Amino acid sequence: MSSPLSKPQIIAHIQKSLNYTVFDSKWIPCSAKFVCLGNFARGTGVIQIYEVQHGEAQLITEVEKPKPLKCGTFGASSLQQRHIATGDFDGNLHIWNLEAPDVPVYATKAHKEIVNSIDGVGGLGIGDGAPEIVTGSRDGTVKVWDPRQKDLPVANMEPVEGETRRDCWTVAFGHAFNDQDRCVCAGYDNGDVKLFDLRNMSLRWETNIKNGVCCVEFDRKDINMNKLVATSLEGKFHVFDMRTQHPTKGFASVSEKAHKSTVWQVRHLPQNRDIFMTAGGAGNLHLWKYEYPAQRSKKDSDGVDVGVAGSVNLLQNVTLSTQPIASLDWSPDKQGLCVCSGFDQSVRVLIVTKLNSA
Amino acid sequence: MSGDTLFPLQTTDVSAKVPVDHLDYDFIETCKDVKYLEKILRILRSGEEGIYPHLIKFCESHLEKLNPKSRALRKENPVATEASFSKDEWNQIVNDLMTWAEQTKETERLLKEGSGFNDLVKGEIPPVRSSSSFVPFSEKSFPKQRINPSKRILPRDYQEWDKFDVEGECEKIDGNMLKNDPPAILNTGNPNIKREVDASLLLQQEKLLLANREKDKGNEAFRANDYEEAVAYYTRSLSILATVSAYNNRAQAEIILEHWHEAMRDCQQVLELEPRNKKALLRRATVHNHMGNFQMASEDLRMVLQEEPNNPAAIQLLSKIEKKASDSLPEQQSKGKKLLIEEIEDDYYKEEQEEQRARPVQPSQPVGGERSSAAPVVRGDMGNAQKKPHSRGDGGPHTESSNSHHGHWRGKGGASDKYKVPEESKEKVANGSSKRASTASEQGDKSGSSKGTTGGGKAEEAVNLDAPCGALPPRLSRLKNEGNLLFKNGQFADALEKYSQAIQGYTDSGVDSPEDLCVLYSNRAACYLKDGNSQECIQDCTRALELQPFSLKPLLRRAMAYESLERYKKAYVDYKTVLQIDISVQAAHDSVNRITRLLIEQDGPEWRDNLPDIPLVPLSAQQHRREEPPSQEVLQARAEKATQEAERRAEIRFSAWKQEGNEFVKKGQYQEALGKYTECLKLKPKECAIYTNRALCYLKLERFPEAKQDCDTALELEPDNKKAFYRRALANKGLQDYLACSSDLQQVLQLDPNVQEAEKELEEVTVLLRQSLARSPDDKARKTVPITEVDDDEDRTDAPNTERSRAADNISVNLKASNAYEFGQSLNAARCSGNTAACAELLASTEPQMLPKYLSNQLDGNTVSFIMKALDSDLLEKNPNLVYRHLSHLHTTDRFSVVLLQLEKDERRIMTQLFEHLSAAESAEFTRDDVENLANKYV
Repeated sequence: MSSPLSKPQIIAHIQKSLNYTVFDSKWIPCSAKFVCLGNFARGTGVIQIYEVQHGEAQLITEVEKPKPLKCGTFGASSLQQRHIATGDFDGNLHIWNLEAPDVPVYATKAHKEIVNSIDGVGGLGIGDGAPEIVTGSRDGTVKVWDPRQKDLPVANMEPVEGETRRDCWTVAFGHAFNDQDRCVCAGYDNGDVKLFDLRNMSLRWETNIKNGVCCVEFDRKDINMNKLVATSLEGKFHVFDMRTQHPTKGFASVSEKAHKSTVWQVRHLPQNRDIFMTAGGAGNLHLWKYEYPAQRSKKDSDGVDVGVAGSVNLLQNVTLSTQPIASLDWSPDKQGLCVCSGFDQSVRVLIVTKLNSA
Repeated sequence: MSGDTLFPLQTTDVSAKVPVDHLDYDFIETCKDVKYLEKILRILRSGEEGIYPHLIKFCESHLEKLNPKSRALRKENPVATEASFSKDEWNQIVNDLMTWAEQTKETERLLKEGSGFNDLVKGEIPPVRSSSSFVPFSEKSFPKQRINPSKRILPRDYQEWDKFDVEGECEKIDGNMLKNDPPAILNTGNPNIKREVDASLLLQQEKLLLANREKDKGNEAFRANDYEEAVAYYTRSLSILATVSAYNNRAQAEIILEHWHEAMRDCQQVLELEPRNKKALLRRATVHNHMGNFQMASEDLRMVLQEEPNNPAAIQLLSKIEKKASDSLPEQQSKGKKLLIEEIEDDYYKEEQEEQRARPVQPSQPVGGERSSAAPVVRGDMGNAQKKPHSRGDGGPHTESSNSHHGHWRGKGGASDKYKVPEESKEKVANGSSKRASTASEQGDKSGSSKGTTGGGKAEEAVNLDAPCGALPPRLSRLKNEGNLLFKNGQFADALEKYSQAIQGYTDSGVDSPEDLCVLYSNRAACYLKDGNSQECIQDCTRALELQPFSLKPLLRRAMAYESLERYKKAYVDYKTVLQIDISVQAAHDSVNRITRLLIEQDGPEWRDNLPDIPLVPLSAQQHRREEPPSQEVLQARAEKATQEAERRAEIRFSAWKQEGNEFVKKGQYQEALGKYTECLKLKPKECAIYTNRALCYLKLERFPEAKQDCDTALELEPDNKKAFYRRALANKGLQDYLACSSDLQQVLQLDPNVQEAEKELEEVTVLLRQSLARSPDDKARKTVPITEVDDDEDRTDAPNTERSRAADNISVNLKASNAYEFGQSLNAARCSGNTAACAELLASTEPQMLPKYLSNQLDGNTVSFIMKALDSDLLEKNPNLVYRHLSHLHTTDRFSVVLLQLEKDERRIMTQLFEHLSAAESAEFTRDDVENLANKYV
């Protein structure tokens, strides 16, 4: 607190009010443009593209869609194409060419209910192997899709008959450091976090963080899995060290109570995996840095390796609004640039300074 | 502000515990309990007890002092705006964004233009995952268990029981048990990270992007200490697009992994792309250094320094390399090849530590050059070990060149001068301290030789030479002054030569002036120190200190040399001594602080216990220093000083002679030692230790009457000197006055019951006494057992039980012992002469089960290790069975466990060696396991 300007500062560069509820905002890779997804009050969906120009966000394209769009990702598209994959309230998965957004290039009825979360890998040069999209839905299933295969998911993770179906709130890819290895992490409304290994088609690990899991993210998708952050409904988040999996204790973790209300989002800085931002239900943003412990694993009393969690330091926190901030996305190209949107029907472009010295 | 809603539920609960009078400036100021302060703060913020903005602020600031990371201090900050920044900063931020926006537009345009052939790319993508696969959702629902749960419940039918395979079923169960507890899954290392990325079809923009991303991944892995992984990612980055920084970073990671050749190759690559890249040069120097090419390493470093004269990492590494280069020459021959591996390991470990130590300082710096400042601080003398082919011959010119270089950057006055500061302060002290002409001339040089011509310097000297200059003949003074001049000019090797000549001349001329010799040695030490030849420096300093104990300069130089050799304990002691002499030496203060930290890190809080004793500086030396500053002194004081000087000189000579005497004793040249001690006594007739030492010499020379006389004198001076008693006992024994002998020995034991030698001696003498009483005087004269004690310590209270006895060779060892006494005698005799063969024979003739009885409670560490040695070297080959039997009985001896505790490190080593050999030996009588069991009792 003593030297305020030596810390990273979060600057609200651009604020834009919208005439619809925005659910997700994403930077278009290799550009100064971002996409906003949401729903109009009349119950239809909308895709908007803005470009950052001379300190302002200029609307370039707006397309109305029949169903409200909940989430989107560029993760499974090549840098040249940059197609966005979206999930809507009706359980549909679409892939749009933003140059010609009227007709989807790929469409499938992925889930019976709303697609809460979507993530992609294998595109943008992130992750070797096939481009794949994972979707998590209120119907309790997590499905992995290959844009080259219509209608059928390449992997399906759903509870067996008779088990209660939990609402899946969030999904994330990780561990995609070669052609074969790939993991999907999913978080549920009852606090379950499940890690599915797509190589062995097995459940690799599960835990419960007691409160609904709002967001999970690996610090990087395309490395040997290193860290995982899971945020929860009651204001806590957990950082798991994914390098050492103990047969009974699983992964070591550190938790931090960050916000007074739900932590809606966590996003790692693309240029530095140890820095991440959490977005809270009271309209605030917290910037954190993970510090590794001196030794990342040790032997327990039985001589089995068990991970050691590090610690998290708060670098900066700001309050943007009184309404929750529901989405956050770092620019993959410009360090420190990020876009966030909240339930106050506005989208903001933020600049975070001094991330290198953090 | 925010606290009221932070923990709304607890507020009432908490307030019940905090009395109102704790909401007070005084109380808050004294309160150290962070939790409690947080509670107070919460109440204050809630306004339940009234609103006191100043008190809240005060409480916050106090809490911040105690725990800056306290959650109660987290406040909601508004978003930063233009107003939060200075104009320049704001403009920079905005412009930065603008240029980025423009650049990306351009990139995007290029991307779109180039996206014509993106269909080609698809061919490279792996196929679609095999159909729709079901992933089990929870551990309870593995498909196999679900498919046929009923089958498990069904009882086996009778036929099945017939085929029932008990073993098999058991194994299955065991197998299941094992399966339930699989080992931890470690995701460390770099399992199958593809090192090549096929980027042939990508556009330039994409390549750049991907290469940067892979490099970022490498940097992150590097920061997390996953160096293997970092290398893998840098390799990927390079396979996409070769960039200088990726090569540089990979080189750094490979240096840490000690892949010298790869690191070298990367540095070369960088230098091809960018010939004067500092980082690459620095890293190549590090690699050269590790591969033993000191010459090339220093060339690289000089290049760096040319570019950036103040680069601290380069300067540090350079001085280290120079030190090593000169160090390695004398050590080369003596160091065995075996050491090589050990040193590397050691070195590696240190480096790891170094890394970790460096980490918290700059944990999040980008991997660029900043890391390198930590990494090249690679310690240890791996270079030495590897540097075999270098000969003394090519070391010469090398030091030459490095010298001139030293001069070079000293001249520039760069930040290099970590060394310069102490040097100057030393100079100051020395100049103040001695009024001798030599230093005066040094001073003269300082002012006069700025032009730097040797001739001029000499002229200067000539003037100074006529000043009262110690006892040095003019020739030597000239040599010395020339040396000083050269030193000033930074020509250390030449100065070194001059000083060496002067020292040589000094010894030849036979002048008696230890101060001057001391100065010469000390100056030469300075040259060695400058050259980085710490070993020689230490030697010279020690010599100088022998001549003049507690002289400041050599002490300081030796301390620095020790420090540079990482012998911190010794350095610490020397620095401490320096500070006792003169408290104002800042360099010593700094170093003491630094070393203290290092030692604490090394040895933990008990580091002081491991320190050698810090010598107490006599008051005379201290006062002498203090008197200095007033330069004008009255004649009387000068006279006093002269007498003091004389005393000191006598003191020095005395200690020198004594030292020499001790040396001679150690070498067994008792006659010479005798001479030295006699000289000593001429100077100081009241020194008890000298008498006892001389007595020892007499004993050795079998001049028992003189020995006895010396002991008597010693006892007059110090009536309860154990050594004197003991030696008189030996003298008496030699004189065959057994009665007096035994009474002396009893005296010794009275003074210190732990003296085992005395006990043994007493036993022996009692027997002799009885014999002499019983037998006729013409009984054949039994040879006495002369006992040597090397008294290398001035400390007279030195416990005699640390003395080693060594029997003269002419004593016969009785190799067949029939009782405990004979056995003890023979064993002792063999041990004293170090005759393992005799011991082995003795053991061979002894029944193993009798061994404990014979040894009874006489066992000590030396005996055990000697027996081990004998068994190992002489008996094991002939008869391993006997060795085994002996060993299996030896540990039943009384006090064995106690003795075991007292064993020294190399004694233990002998033991483990023996067991290793034993287990390697073939025998029908015992197995390897037996040996191992036995070994467990010993080790």
